[in-house]
Amino acid sequence: MEPLLNGTGITRSFGPTPALRGVDIDVAEGEIVAVTGPSGCGKSTLLHCLAGILRADSGTVTYRDQNLGLLSEAARSRLRRTEFGVLFQFGQLVPELTAVENAALPLLLAGSGRREARTVALGWLDRLGVADLADQRPGAMSGGQQQRCATARALVTGPRVLFADEPTGSLDALTGEQVLGEIVQVARAQNTAVVLVTHEAKVAAYADREVTLRDGVVDATGLGLGMRA
Amino acid sequence: MSPGTLARLAVAGNRTDVLRLVLTAGSTGVATVALLAAATVISVQGYADRYTSALLAEPGLRPGVSIALVLVSLPVLALAGQCIRLGAPARDRRLAAMRLAGATPGESVLIATAETAVAGFVGSSTGLVAYALGRQLIAARDHFGRLRLPTDVLPPIPVIVLVVLAIPLLAAVIGAVLMRRVIVTPLGVVRRTRSRGPRPWPGLLIAVGLVLFGLPLNWPDGWHRPDWHLPARLSYGVLGLGVVLVMAGVVLGTGWISHTVGRLLRRYGRMPSTLLAGQRLITDPWHGSRTLAALLVAVVAGGATLGFREALATDIRAQRSGGSGLGAEPEFYFNAYRLVLIVVGLSAVVAAAGMLVALAESIVAGRRSYAALTASGVPRRTLAASVLWQTLTPLVPALLLAVGSGVALARLFDTHPPAPVPVPFQSLGLLGAGALLAVVLAAGAGLLVLRSSTDLEELRV
Ligand SMILES: Nc1ncnc2c1ncn2[C@@H]1O[C@H](COP(=O)(O)OP(=O)(O)OP(=O)(O)O)[C@@H](O)[C@H]1O
Ligand SMILES: [Mg+2]
Repeated sequence: MEPLLNGTGITRSFGPTPALRGVDIDVAEGEIVAVTGPSGCGKSTLLHCLAGILRADSGTVTYRDQNLGLLSEAARSRLRRTEFGVLFQFGQLVPELTAVENAALPLLLAGSGRREARTVALGWLDRLGVADLADQRPGAMSGGQQQRCATARALVTGPRVLFADEPTGSLDALTGEQVLGEIVQVARAQNTAVVLVTHEAKVAAYADREVTLRDGVVDATGLGLGMRA
Repeated sequence: MSPGTLARLAVAGNRTDVLRLVLTAGSTGVATVALLAAATVISVQGYADRYTSALLAEPGLRPGVSIALVLVSLPVLALAGQCIRLGAPARDRRLAAMRLAGATPGESVLIATAETAVAGFVGSSTGLVAYALGRQLIAARDHFGRLRLPTDVLPPIPVIVLVVLAIPLLAAVIGAVLMRRVIVTPLGVVRRTRSRGPRPWPGLLIAVGLVLFGLPLNWPDGWHRPDWHLPARLSYGVLGLGVVLVMAGVVLGTGWISHTVGRLLRRYGRMPSTLLAGQRLITDPWHGSRTLAALLVAVVAGGATLGFREALATDIRAQRSGGSGLGAEPEFYFNAYRLVLIVVGLSAVVAAAGMLVALAESIVAGRRSYAALTASGVPRRTLAASVLWQTLTPLVPALLLAVGSGVALARLFDTHPPAPVPVPFQSLGLLGAGALLAVVLAAGAGLLVLRSSTDLEELRV
């Protein structure tokens, strides 16, 4: 089957530091792929390249026959607000907007009316159990509530791929597990593929498949965190 | 993105953003009043002895008054430009978060620019209201039935509309140009900084400017002392271009001065404060050009005016001793120079306000590193001293350059002095000292911001 998202021979350096040195990765429709590996091995960089946030130095990233490297910055931005959802450890909410405005942001940017966008966003906040915080700003929420709100925003447009970089990394173990369970459940329910960066074995265990990076390349031994556990 | 969304995202802001909006609106408001006043003065027709002041009554003088008012509005607009950068780090973070959610680079510039345009429009509308109210308030006549100001004349409505709309537009364009140097990526802000240190080529600008300025004045026959005939208009253009080049050279040259002073401080400085200041000057040598631009332009203009006045005084002395009288009353000319100097002084005050805003902005932007330095045991006094070093050491040579360029302009203008014109060192010294004092006051006020910025609370989040 043709993969939904494909990366071939991705390299990326920051100045003299090579972060990725030729990574191949496939993500199928609705598949949950965990990307694991030690700190500094290039997990976040890979995720940014796949989501079109960073451009790869060489190699190609293909999403549904579109080569992301050939798209303009604006076109990749539009992809991010319609086809992709992005979820980071923290810091992706706009502190000056309320929870519901944050969740509705991709819809608003795509041109939806404000009332309609608000209704859809409220539905997502409700699904993630934070509807009562709709008119709060992120500063007034706990870390777990912020991540639930960010999840609502990442999923509000019904994306085909969710990119999550240690989404529960700043939460305590129990809350982290709850939030992650919700993310996975919601993603499965609407057949959204997930690229999940983590260095926790427990988190990796939620995935269908695990890709381990070491020093910017895929570790071929295949002994990832989840498998070893 | 719908207009409603654009408006909502543009005005989403925290307290610094509100301050930025208020300051932008305030400065564009003042600029609007100044430009409307200029338009009013130029709209007065013929010889108008219904006014108390000769500056308004004489048709030959009103263009000068008008130009002076336009010149006053320039530093005010520069201040608006400074305000647009105020609190920029927080705004850039917000824009980055929006980029991550799928805003395109163009949309993020649009959101930021819309904010400035809205603030500018609020400002210019307020300015219009203030202008209209002000006309009512000062419309009283004295017992000869004369008016102090041309409150009986209104510029044509299209001109008023143009001013009220053009100012926010101009502010928005300035904002967009400033934003263009900043790429907001979804992962945060990458400032497009110039990689190489500044070079001394602005010195060339000053030289070319002086040559251009001197050219029409020293042209053999016909062009000398231009008046309003066609070739003379051209020579006015060349004169103006020369002045602009000199001013640009002084402003840009400050970048090189900052860089060089920073290197010297780092090499020869022995105190922690001088080392810190030197490092900061090298890291962002253009900071001085940005913050001091309006002040330096005012000082060049002031230096030139003082030079002209000295030449006039020499002229008058020579004619008195030669027995021939000057056509008009000399006091009249001195009054005109006094007016220009008042304009320069006002501009300098506005420029100092802009500098305060910029300085506070730079301290707030660097507050995490300041707070981290305090946390690691660097005393506040050292930080305060480093801010002063950083501000004042490039300022003194930049001021000397500005005053010198201004005087050079004046001396080129006076091609055939009847007697050697002395350099008015005393008044030039006062001009430089005044500018220095303005900067010291602004820096002192900026240090108050530093106090709160070194609060260890700043290390949270
Ligand atoms: N913006 C950047 N500038 C310079 N170097 C960078 C940048 N981003 C990443 N790097 C470098 O690239 C390498 C890979 O970084 P990356 O963030 O992808 O690692 P990671 O696997 O996500 O680590 P962690 O588990 O700690 O988050 C590191 O050596 C890092 O120093
Ligand atoms: Mg990472």
